Amino acid sequence: MTGDMAQQVLPDAASHAVAELRQADIVIGIPSYNNVKTIGHVVRAAQGGLAKYFPQFSSVIVNSDGGSSDGTRETVLSSQIEDAHLLMLSTPMLPVHRLSFPYHGIPGKGSAFRMIFAIAQQLGAKACCVVDSDLRSITPEWIDLLLRPVLYTGYDFVAPYYYRHKYDGTITNSIVYPMTRSLYGLRVRQPIGGDFGMSGALVARYLQRNDWETDVARYGIDIWMTSIAIAEGFRVCQSFLGAKLHDAKDPGADLSAMLHQVVGSVYQLMGEYEPVWRSRSGSSPVDLFGFRFDVGLSPIEVNLDRMLNTFRRGCHELAEIWSLALLPENLEAIQRLARELESGAKNFNIPDALWARIVADFACAYRHTPIERGHLLRSLTPLYIGRVASFVIETETSVSSQVEEKIEDLCKAFEDAKPYLISRWKNEAVNLEQGVPSTEKAPEHVKLEA
Amino acid sequence: MIRTLQQILERAVERLADTSMTYLPPLLAGLVILLVAYLIARMVRWMFNRMIKASGVDRFLLQSGISSMLDRSGRLHAAQLVAQTAYWMVILIGVLTALNAFNTELTTRIISSVVLLLPKLVTAALILVAGVWLGKYLGRSMLVWAHNEEMPWPRKLAAVVRTGIIFVSIVVAADHLDFARGVFLAAFVLLMGGAVVSLSIALGMSTHYAIKRRLEEERPRAEEMEEKSLWNHL
Repeated sequence: MTGDMAQQVLPDAASHAVAELRQADIVIGIPSYNNVKTIGHVVRAAQGGLAKYFPQFSSVIVNSDGGSSDGTRETVLSSQIEDAHLLMLSTPMLPVHRLSFPYHGIPGKGSAFRMIFAIAQQLGAKACCVVDSDLRSITPEWIDLLLRPVLYTGYDFVAPYYYRHKYDGTITNSIVYPMTRSLYGLRVRQPIGGDFGMSGALVARYLQRNDWETDVARYGIDIWMTSIAIAEGFRVCQSFLGAKLHDAKDPGADLSAMLHQVVGSVYQLMGEYEPVWRSRSGSSPVDLFGFRFDVGLSPIEVNLDRMLNTFRRGCHELAEIWSLALLPENLEAIQRLARELESGAKNFNIPDALWARIVADFACAYRHTPIERGHLLRSLTPLYIGRVASFVIETETSVSSQVEEKIEDLCKAFEDAKPYLISRWKNEAVNLEQGVPSTEKAPEHVKLEA
Repeated sequence: MIRTLQQILERAVERLADTSMTYLPPLLAGLVILLVAYLIARMVRWMFNRMIKASGVDRFLLQSGISSMLDRSGRLHAAQLVAQTAYWMVILIGVLTALNAFNTELTTRIISSVVLLLPKLVTAALILVAGVWLGKYLGRSMLVWAHNEEMPWPRKLAAVVRTGIIFVSIVVAADHLDFARGVFLAAFVLLMGGAVVSLSIALGMSTHYAIKRRLEEERPRAEEMEEKSLWNHL
């Protein structure tokens, strides 16, 4: 995106403010929507981080708001660190510019980020970071950890690394992390963490793209940013931020819509970066900055019976739609599990290998039946809930290290299933050329394991 | 007596000769036309098969779900479909041309009715295909939506949507063909009216139960929301 195009993304008030500021080395972006309870803390942490770790840089904090009616924007503009001496600064604390504007376009986190990135580019920022406005555990150190690798060690993208409760971030743990890792070969543990650091070059690359009006405008933004950074060869690292404690993310949000946006973005990018992921196998670790320490986490309660019931209902009602994506043997395996569940089986478990094949099947169907994409992605919800229920049962008594081992096993299952994915992906392409339906049998050379 | 018999026979042979002279040439011409039409039809089928295979229409049919709608195995090929259609069109034109060779009032009437009806038949068939496709598509949308919203009987709701849309397309197609227009329209109005009246009665009768149940469910629902808010998927 050129400067003129970036200008078009900005509301007039933002353009005037940018013209007045002219330049900034660092831009910290905070997207928000009715976050008055927590955003003051986030702004103060950002101010503290800038004052303590980057006093020599000119900085701006930008709040990109989705039309809050609870005084979020006023809170951003009025938040101040009252006890600056507690930060033990080596230089006097100078005021940091704070801007707060409502963004234009499709309501969602992605649109909010777009405005932040456009401001960062207009100001010629060397580094930019974004942090969620609902964070309760953010400290000034987060700002240092997200920006330092960009400003001092030449990284382009800093992903967060947190400790989270075993039932927190279940889309991340069961789909996005294993999928991203197996596709692009890098172990970025929190690819949709929400708090990222970026170089000016990467921000410019994001703004150049023309898919901002898709699911990227909403919850798809995080995986979009991470996937582009990895797939296009930008230097990627992680920073350990401690615990992630936050308010519920839009409690009224529809889970199936959220899943649709996140998983849809993963699949969409798979199509675009096919040559990249097809050429990679296995995975390698990513540099992790920051001192790791154990943290206490808030417990999360889940209703297992309701989850199992949702899965059972899905098997009963959505088989017609699943059959558009799943191979008959995978569909049968799922329906067998539902039958066992109905007959009162206690040890419900969706095996890792089966789950990896299901996600792969949906990816292939997403690519090859564009008209049915919405149905397919929305019908994934009960399968996902079933997989989460299986995970909850499996890890009921596990401590965090054991849970990480389970997630590691799942990632390996995804990596093992990559030949299956590639084979089905190729087969589908061949079948389409010949006008033959593809959900008939597994590729012959791919061994299916339950 | 013998003379009379001879005259009758002579007249019969004369009539036969006349009839043969009148109808044999057009019959032969008709047969030749049919033979030529058959050969052209085969050639056209072969050409279309070749051309369509390279055009990517099969991909469209498969991706749009039209092929699985027309053929349950989903193995329908556009090339096959178009080539067969062209083949039968040429045969039909051949038959009509052959009939035209007779140049009688009856054949002229048959030809004009077919020529007038054919475009209407094709349009009606397209309306039906579009209706079936749309019915299936919206039925699936209803199924997924109703399931995710935890509505009761999602499959039945989907079936209602599917059947309703297919029925509307049948009414439109019948109307286009001027075929039993009144019957279909009356059935449509009766069914729709019946459905609306039933829904109104059901709604009225169940409202107080619904309100009661809603009030009873209010507390667990609030607890559920609280639980939902604790669980962060991303």
